[in-house]
Amino acid sequence: MKEKHIQLIGVIIAGIYAVFIAWIYLVEPKSLTEVPTKAQTTFENVTTKAQVITNTYEVDQEKFNEGLAAFRKDNFIAARDYFERADPERRDAKTQFYFAYSFYRQGFGKVYNDNELFKKGLEQVDKVIALDKNFKTDDADLQLKTPAELKNEFEEGLKVTAEDFNPFKVLRQRK
Amino acid sequence: MFNVQSPESKVEDDSFENLQIIDGELLEVSSSDNIDYSVEEQIEVAPRVEKQIVKDQKPKTENQKFYLQYILLPLIFLTAALLGGLRLSATDSALIFLKPPLICLIFATILLVLFFRSGLLKLEGWFSESFSMLKNTANVGILLTLFFASTQIFNSLLPETGLPFWVFAFCFFWTLWNNLFVEFQGKRLLQSLGSVFALAFVSKYLILAYLTAPTSESWWRGILENPTQEFFTLLFDLPRFAAGTGYIQFFAVIFYLLGLFLLPPVSAGEK
Repeated sequence: MKEKHIQLIGVIIAGIYAVFIAWIYLVEPKSLTEVPTKAQTTFENVTTKAQVITNTYEVDQEKFNEGLAAFRKDNFIAARDYFERADPERRDAKTQFYFAYSFYRQGFGKVYNDNELFKKGLEQVDKVIALDKNFKTDDADLQLKTPAELKNEFEEGLKVTAEDFNPFKVLRQRK
Repeated sequence: MFNVQSPESKVEDDSFENLQIIDGELLEVSSSDNIDYSVEEQIEVAPRVEKQIVKDQKPKTENQKFYLQYILLPLIFLTAALLGGLRLSATDSALIFLKPPLICLIFATILLVLFFRSGLLKLEGWFSESFSMLKNTANVGILLTLFFASTQIFNSLLPETGLPFWVFAFCFFWTLWNNLFVEFQGKRLLQSLGSVFALAFVSKYLILAYLTAPTSESWWRGILENPTQEFFTLLFDLPRFAAGTGYIQFFAVIFYLLGLFLLPPVSAGEK
């Protein structure tokens, strides 16, 4: 074999091996059996990034529908999981709006709201505004149609005011 | 066919200098089976047979050098780099991949400078405008793998946390810094490095590992069962790893030193 062929093969083999080492230090598998799972996850991530770069990124409609069904059944944890998988790059305003809304519905309480969930919702709704500030949902089931309304609901829910001690507060309805 | 004068004939000194230089081999040819000595001995000069030189033909050992340098050597250094940051958890022997701290990169850089200063590596033998692009690239690749391996060897030999990390780091820095200003030979540098790495390995994976208390169910139980080890572990903030870690790091150091031993001062094919 000629010198240049050996050099070329050496560069290629060393390059592949070096990338493998860098990858394994990045994903940090706990055992050798975990390596294929990590490889699959990395492949999916790379594919999604490539779709974003080539402008062919699309929300997984099937997973979105499953998320929506879970959302309507008040199973918000499962719904968020589906929404996350439907839009892994978090680039779709509609999916992200439902994601934020799930924090509101889950955190809403007649006596008191869950502040942790409301804070997460507030962070999430800001992302929706960053994606599309003119977004408006056409879902009749949702009373808060825009991210601005949802944000206001979160902010009001996090404030402690005299109104919080009003006993008639228990009569209010979740939007 | 050329006729050459017999030994009996006289050759004048003046004409000897003017003789034409003949390029050929001497052959004796007898004209008949019965040699007649009265007849002048005829000596023929046969034209030299030119040996066929095949272009690009290299001895096998030369090809082996290329295989060693461009394929085996990077693999050895990269394996050392892979193993250098690998530890096994004390609780469930899970793999832990530790990224090298910044100080390891600094040490590796100083070490590479030392390699060039001592003549263990000769810059002009690795990079040159007269080399092809591919050869320069392949040589860069080899030296990069050497750098990664050096970084990870320091990552392997430095304790992960606490006071021992700073003590070891200071000792390495002191040694490397002193060596920077010393006139070195490549062989001496290799011996020095081998002994420093061996000392660090023994200190970390034998002495400090012996002082580290095994993982116990509770803090109190640990204190009661292994009071001395628990004391040193808490005092020096020693990390707890499985015993297999020492074996892995042993091979990492061996691979690295083997790579250094095989590393030529100049790239293959150069003098």
